[in-house]
Amino acid sequence: MKKLHTIVATTLLGFSMTACATGDTSKAAGGGAEAAISAAKASNKAAKSVGYEWRDTGKMIKKAEKLAKEGKTEEAIKLAKKAEMQGKAAQMQATSQKNAGPRF
Amino acid sequence: MKKIMTCAALALSITALPMLAQATPEDDLKAFRAYFHKRFANVPKDDFINGVYSIDKASREQWESIEEFPPYEINIEKGETLFNKPFKNGKTYADCFKNGGKAIKQNYPYFDTATGKVKTLEGEINECRVANGEKPLPYKKGKIADISAYMAYTSRGNKISVQIPDDPKALAAYERGKKHFYAKRGQLNMACADCHVYYAGNRIRADILSPALGQVSHFPVYRSKWGGLGTIHRRYGGCNKQVRAKPFKAQSDEYNALEYFHTYMSNGLEMNGPGVRK
Repeated sequence: MKKLHTIVATTLLGFSMTACATGDTSKAAGGGAEAAISAAKASNKAAKSVGYEWRDTGKMIKKAEKLAKEGKTEEAIKLAKKAEMQGKAAQMQATSQKNAGPRF
Repeated sequence: MKKIMTCAALALSITALPMLAQATPEDDLKAFRAYFHKRFANVPKDDFINGVYSIDKASREQWESIEEFPPYEINIEKGETLFNKPFKNGKTYADCFKNGGKAIKQNYPYFDTATGKVKTLEGEINECRVANGEKPLPYKKGKIADISAYMAYTSRGNKISVQIPDDPKALAAYERGKKHFYAKRGQLNMACADCHVYYAGNRIRADILSPALGQVSHFPVYRSKWGGLGTIHRRYGGCNKQVRAKPFKAQSDEYNALEYFHTYMSNGLEMNGPGVRK
């Protein structure tokens, strides 16, 4: 039970740190849609470089760019952050699958 | 005492990891076969080439009636015409392949030690075209699938015989394909093996998941979903998309490696392509 608590706490800490990092990125660049889109692009590029890009991340980034052009900044930021999160999750997936092999 | 036991267990696990990583392709093949033969103990060993129809009686009956007037027949005819049609320089595909291109599909893909690359049949069809001054064809469907279907048809009954030469690059390509097959990917976090090894025979919505053993034997394949013929790389791309992973390009090193591993696992089974599937 103690172990389970430790795992849950570590996971939550990881998520919160990621969230903080994401927030910082946007703020550092002025908090606009451009910064969020750049962060999403960087995250997706990193996922692609290890061969684990997800199907819809690129489309989400394009849509965020379109929203930003239309002046819908909040919606653009929200979508870009979602795309950035996908890129980060894909990178984590790549790490976790480094030693993938048969389970029989 | 508890500490000693923990240390011993840790030491064992550390030494066990490299042993697992060192499994040879032959070891992999034996384990792969044994898994499917045990899981589908009632399926005759040579029948896995019929995919899902080897494990589901009702689907097999429908498939057998489709095979009476196979929808890919016209593609074989088109493929034969294209295969025999001379290029502008007067040469044909037969000039590019061993045995005039007949009955050779069972040897593909193969590792070319000269270039250090995995060579697929579709890849070599286009290499042949380029070498003879023609434009390469798109890889997933259309004319290339027709030509490949004709070549597959002339190879029916031959046993799959993919070789892994004693070359570190060949082994690296095999391992790359193996890793792609077993690694979870995409937003749904699923591996090829999740559907076609561990859950083979289970339903995914209305469909039954086919066993990975023997899957390569019937490509290119006519799929009702596509309304036409497609190459195995088209199917790989579709599978990756279904788990919400960005697909690789057809004939990319990644899919060539996957085809290399995937086909090697079916060594010894008969070719029966082109085939028809839902």
